[in-house]
Amino acid sequence: MALLNRSDWYDIARDTNWTPKYVTEEELFPKEMSDCFDVPREKWETYDEPYKTSYREYVKVQREKDAGAYSVKAALGRMKFLDSADPGWKSILKLHYGGIALQEYAAGMAEATMARFGRAPGMRNMATFGLLDETRHGQIQLYFPHEYVSKDRQFDWAHKAMHSNDWAAIATRHAFADIMSGRDATSVALMLTFAFETAFTNMQFLGLAADAAEVGDVTFSNLISSIQTDEARHAQIGTPALKILIENGHKEGAQKLVDIAFWRNWRLFSVVTGPSMDYYTPLAKREKSFKEFMIEWIVGQFERNILDIGLDVPWYWDTFLEDLNTTHHGMHLGVWYWRPTVWWDPAAGASPDERDWLEEKYPGWNDTYGKCWDVIIDNIKNGREDLTLPETLPIVCNMNHLPIVGVPGKKWDVRDHYLDYKGRRYHFGSKVDRWVFEQDPDRYAGHQGLIDRFLAGKIQPANLEGALKYMGLQPEDCGKDAHDYAWVWNYNKPDKVAV
Amino acid sequence: MTTNIKDIHKHNRVGPIFRGGELATAAIDALEEDNPDKEFTIEDRAAYIRVETDHECIIRRKTMEEILGRPFEMQELEVILGSFSGQIEAEQEYVRFYFDTKI
Repeated sequence: MALLNRSDWYDIARDTNWTPKYVTEEELFPKEMSDCFDVPREKWETYDEPYKTSYREYVKVQREKDAGAYSVKAALGRMKFLDSADPGWKSILKLHYGGIALQEYAAGMAEATMARFGRAPGMRNMATFGLLDETRHGQIQLYFPHEYVSKDRQFDWAHKAMHSNDWAAIATRHAFADIMSGRDATSVALMLTFAFETAFTNMQFLGLAADAAEVGDVTFSNLISSIQTDEARHAQIGTPALKILIENGHKEGAQKLVDIAFWRNWRLFSVVTGPSMDYYTPLAKREKSFKEFMIEWIVGQFERNILDIGLDVPWYWDTFLEDLNTTHHGMHLGVWYWRPTVWWDPAAGASPDERDWLEEKYPGWNDTYGKCWDVIIDNIKNGREDLTLPETLPIVCNMNHLPIVGVPGKKWDVRDHYLDYKGRRYHFGSKVDRWVFEQDPDRYAGHQGLIDRFLAGKIQPANLEGALKYMGLQPEDCGKDAHDYAWVWNYNKPDKVAV
Repeated sequence: MTTNIKDIHKHNRVGPIFRGGELATAAIDALEEDNPDKEFTIEDRAAYIRVETDHECIIRRKTMEEILGRPFEMQELEVILGSFSGQIEAEQEYVRFYFDTKI
C-alpha cells in the first residue's frame, strides 16, 4: 500500500494547539510548568523541530536499534569478557550504570514534562518520543549489568545507587533535579536537551565508547553509542526553543539557564568521566585524554553550536578552560582516597608509566597531583595502608555536592568560595558554583548536603562507620583500590613486603 | 592541532558522527557524491567516525538507495547517527548539516 509522504501530513497531524473550552489557556499551561518566560502562544507556533520522526518510523528504527544492542550482547556474552577485564574497566561499568541508569528514568519524567506542558506542538510531539527513548535507556542499562550481580555485588548498585544517600548519588540527584525535574518545560528544553544532551552525553556515550572499543568491551561500546543515537534526535527539542526565546527578547534569560546547566554538568562529568578516561581505563587502551575528548566534543563541537544559534560563550569560559587541566585530577584523588564511600573500586592510575602519560597530557602533573601520590605510594610501601584511608569526611560544595578541590603542591590554591544567606553559610567549590546559587538563592537554600547532615547529627555514630551506614554501603560494597596496590610495586624501591 | 585553546571553537566544520559499519560506509560515500565540491576529513575511532567538512553538507535518500542497491528510508540513518557537528535539518528526502553563521 502506498503511504503518503510524511511531509504531506506531518504539520496537520502534530498540530494539537486546540482552543480549550472548559479551562483557560493559563490553566491548561500554567507558567510554572510550561514556560517561565511566558512567550505568547502564537510565537510558539513558529517552532519547527529540525529532526523529525513519525510514530511508524520511530517504532521501526527503535526496533532495529534494540535488536542490534541485544544481539551483540547475546553473541558476546559467551566470551565472558568481564571475567578477564581489567579491574579499572569494571569500575567504569559500575560507576556508569549506578550513576546513570535510574537518572534515565528521571529524564523520562522531564521529557514527559515537555510532552504535556511544552508550549509548541512540535516540542510535545518530539518529547513524547523522548519519553520513550529515556524509558528504553533506563531499562536497557539496568538489564545489561544485571547478569553481573551474581558475580560482583557492586553491580547491584546499578539499581541501588540513586535510592541511597551515597554522596555521589546526592550530587547526581541535585544536579539533575536542577535541570530536569525542578524546571518548567521550556527550561527543560534548554537545560536538559540542549545544554546536556547536545554536549556532555557525547562525552560519556561516544567518547567513552571509543575507549570501550579499544578495551574490547564491544557490548558496552555498542550499547552506549546506540543510546546516543536517541539522544542525538530528541536533543534537538532545545534548538528551536532557544531560537524562539532569542527572537522574542529573552536571550539573556536563556543564556543564564544554559550557563547554569553547562556548569552543573561540567562539574558532574569531572568526577564521572574524568577519572574514567584518565585513570581507570587501562593505559594502553586510552584513545585520548579526558581533556582531549572535552576539547573535541565540548569546546570544538558544542561551543561552536552555541554561537551559531545566537548565544554567547558562558561568562566563565576562561575559568572552564583552565579547569580542564585540573578539576578532574583533584576529584580523582578525592574519590580514590575516600574509596570506601563509593560502590566501585577506583583504579589509582598512578604507576610510573601512567604518570609519564599524565605528565605528557597535563604538563606539571608530577609537581602537583604527583606529590600527593608520592605520599600515598610511600605509605603503602611502608605498610601503612591506614594512612591512605579516610577517618573523616571532606568539605563538599553546597552546589555540586562534590569535594572542594584545588591544585596541590607549590600551586596550592584550594579555596572555599562561601556565601552567607539568611543566617547560614554556604560553601562552594568555585566562584561559578556560588554564582549559580546567587541566581536563585531560595531555590537552593535549605538543602542539606552530606556534611550538613553530618554536622546536624543525622548521621550516627558520627564517624566514618556511621557515614558508610548512612550511605547504604555494606563492607562488601565499599570501594577498594582496584588493583590491590599492585601498581605501587612498579616503583623501584621494593623495600617492604606487600600490605 | 589548533593553536590556542580559546580559539578552538572558532571554526566552520559540520558533519555527521556515525557509529561504524556498512551503513556508515555507504553514508560517507553518499556524502562524497552529494557534495562534489566539498572535501571531507574522516576521523575513525572504531566506536565512532567523525566526518566533517566546511559549513554545509547533505545526504540524499536517493543517493543512499543507489549506493546500497535497495530501498532506503532516510530515518534509517538514525541507527548510526550518534551525533553531529553543526545544526541539522532531517527531512524525508535528505539530511543536511549546516551552520547559519560563518566564523
